[in-house]
Amino acid sequence: MPSRRMFLAGLLASGVAPRASWADAGSPAYLSAARLPSGAYALFGLNAGGQVVFEIPLPGRGHAAAAHPSQPLAVAFARRPGRFALVINCADGTVKTRLDAPPGFHFYGHGTFTADGSVLCTSENDFNNARGMIGLWDVRNGFARLGAIPSGGIGPHELRLMPDGETLVVANGGIETHPDAGRQKLNLPEMRPNLSYVSLDGATLDQHQPPPEWHQNSIRHLALRKDGLVAIACQWQGNPTDTPPLLATHRRGQNLAFHDPGTDIWRDMQGYLGSVSFSGSGAEIAVTGPRGGVALITDASGQPQRLIEQPDICGAAPGASGFVFTTGQGLVLEDAGTSRQMASEWVAWDNHLVSVA
Amino acid sequence: MRWMLAGLVAMCLPVMGWTGERTTLIRQIVDQEVLPGFAALSRSGARMAGWAELSCEHPDFRYNYVAAFSAWARVSHLRFGPSEEDNLAFALAFWPDPRGQTPKSLRKLLATSDTDLLSPDKFGEMSVAARGFYALDLLLFDDTIQSAGMAEYHCALVQAVTRDIATTAQQLDDRWSAFAPNLTDPAPDGVYRTEDEVLRELFKAASAGLQFSAELRLGRPLGTFENPRPKRAEAWRSRLSLHLLTEAVRGSGTLALRLSAGDAALSARLDRKLRRFEARAAELDDPVFAGVSAPQSRIRIEALREDLEAIRRIVDQELGPHLGVSAGFNALDGD
Repeated sequence: MPSRRMFLAGLLASGVAPRASWADAGSPAYLSAARLPSGAYALFGLNAGGQVVFEIPLPGRGHAAAAHPSQPLAVAFARRPGRFALVINCADGTVKTRLDAPPGFHFYGHGTFTADGSVLCTSENDFNNARGMIGLWDVRNGFARLGAIPSGGIGPHELRLMPDGETLVVANGGIETHPDAGRQKLNLPEMRPNLSYVSLDGATLDQHQPPPEWHQNSIRHLALRKDGLVAIACQWQGNPTDTPPLLATHRRGQNLAFHDPGTDIWRDMQGYLGSVSFSGSGAEIAVTGPRGGVALITDASGQPQRLIEQPDICGAAPGASGFVFTTGQGLVLEDAGTSRQMASEWVAWDNHLVSVA
Repeated sequence: MRWMLAGLVAMCLPVMGWTGERTTLIRQIVDQEVLPGFAALSRSGARMAGWAELSCEHPDFRYNYVAAFSAWARVSHLRFGPSEEDNLAFALAFWPDPRGQTPKSLRKLLATSDTDLLSPDKFGEMSVAARGFYALDLLLFDDTIQSAGMAEYHCALVQAVTRDIATTAQQLDDRWSAFAPNLTDPAPDGVYRTEDEVLRELFKAASAGLQFSAELRLGRPLGTFENPRPKRAEAWRSRLSLHLLTEAVRGSGTLALRLSAGDAALSARLDRKLRRFEARAAELDDPVFAGVSAPQSRIRIEALREDLEAIRRIVDQELGPHLGVSAGFNALDGD
């Protein structure tokens, strides 16, 4: 019987025969879930100009979506602690398949595909063991579950595949939750978030924690630049008056570098970042603070450049050279040095704006 | 420089009334709810520990246990400021405990019979799962844990837990007294910079407290119709579940009611809903929500939840906007 590593290597090598492409779904550049004025939820495709190219009803509030690199497939995750995710064919709006978390597991709301699109990786909670896991799903085999590997910590949230194509970088938020206790945080006194690099065959390769005095700085979201630089957005769970820097960057082999612009910006954001993104050029990083209604843009070394004030700003993704942002009030904004409204819809854009490759 | 200027722009909230009204309102909440609440907790905690010191079986110990636990429920929604410092609130109340860490750590302690661990210093450094009211509830009322270990050590552990509760409650009381000026006199370099920030904090506490009561104190035992979970009720062993729920809703509900000052119609509606909840709770002859398992009795507990949800709707959809607290789609998501 082949080992899981060989099996995965085989999958990665053989690739996926393309049938339909994203062009069949109107060539969206971005995906985002949203709440409609009726209170219903839908998954939207937006083109590079911020205009809607498709709208597909969802059964409830989602969190993030994952876009397949070549086929027009989006995976929409139910909101934490969701037990299911839908694989949606964005070309015709049909649900291709439904992913059910195995007994004892639930999804955290983020996922990512391998570069060739053969494996979907999802952040999950093995809640009776308070252990973070990454679920692996076989795309070519109808998204059958291949298994799960440890995420390297508690509460894995956003994850990305590193440029080497075989290492995942995972934001382990450190917060223990259990579906029997709703969204209640169970271990704030002892939480230990980390950034972990794990190989697809389950080895933890490298791990970094915030310094002990910032152990309540939950590492939740991350963005990845082509050269492997990781930008990290945190949520502070400690005393609001002690809010540490919420933005960090990391490069493998080095230490976590936290970036503090030296103003009250983290307090203005109420210690809470919603999303993080590199700019299209890779020269800048944006973090959004929906609670403060402000986004902070820094250069790639964390030096502050400018602020964008916009109520409930949260979604962020790379634009042509700068960024594209979405807000809970329906705006789609572009920023490449100055901000400009691209579109405005009668919807509340949900947390994350996801790039389609 | 643009960056500096932008940093100075305040997060502005539309506000109720004029400054004087808000100043008075905050002062009243602090002087008549927050500080007396923590003073009552520390008084009853000390009394409870005093009786436990005399005898683990003393009826006045049990009586004061209920008083102290109730005093905690009344302020349990004030999860900010001193309550979040050094995990003081967690040290009093580690619940819910879906993985059973409290019974696990208590059994382990009882098996060691190590009296060194029970000194105030050592015990105060122990995992929060082994401390506080929920640990005490198991020690006193759980069928197996109340008789586990050697009787003498068991009593010494009960006394260590009550002493620790009293110490923590005293610390909370002291620290809240010292913290109060931050709420009543916000300043640019203070914990809160404006009265709006203070009101937002108080509103969040009321709203989150009601949510905790609805989703956990009531929601856990209710489970689903097909799968009710009566043994997940809070403190069911001591039969305090309904009592603690009532106290907790009274605490967060009173705060919400005070915050509604300035809108008579809103106050009246909220007051009516709070009274209805209290009346329904008083009529419910089921202290531990055991009735969740039978359709006829379950309906009455579900009605209680609906009353609580009605309070929550008013608070989140009307009180929030009345205070000018923004309720953004993403801002409230917390994910």
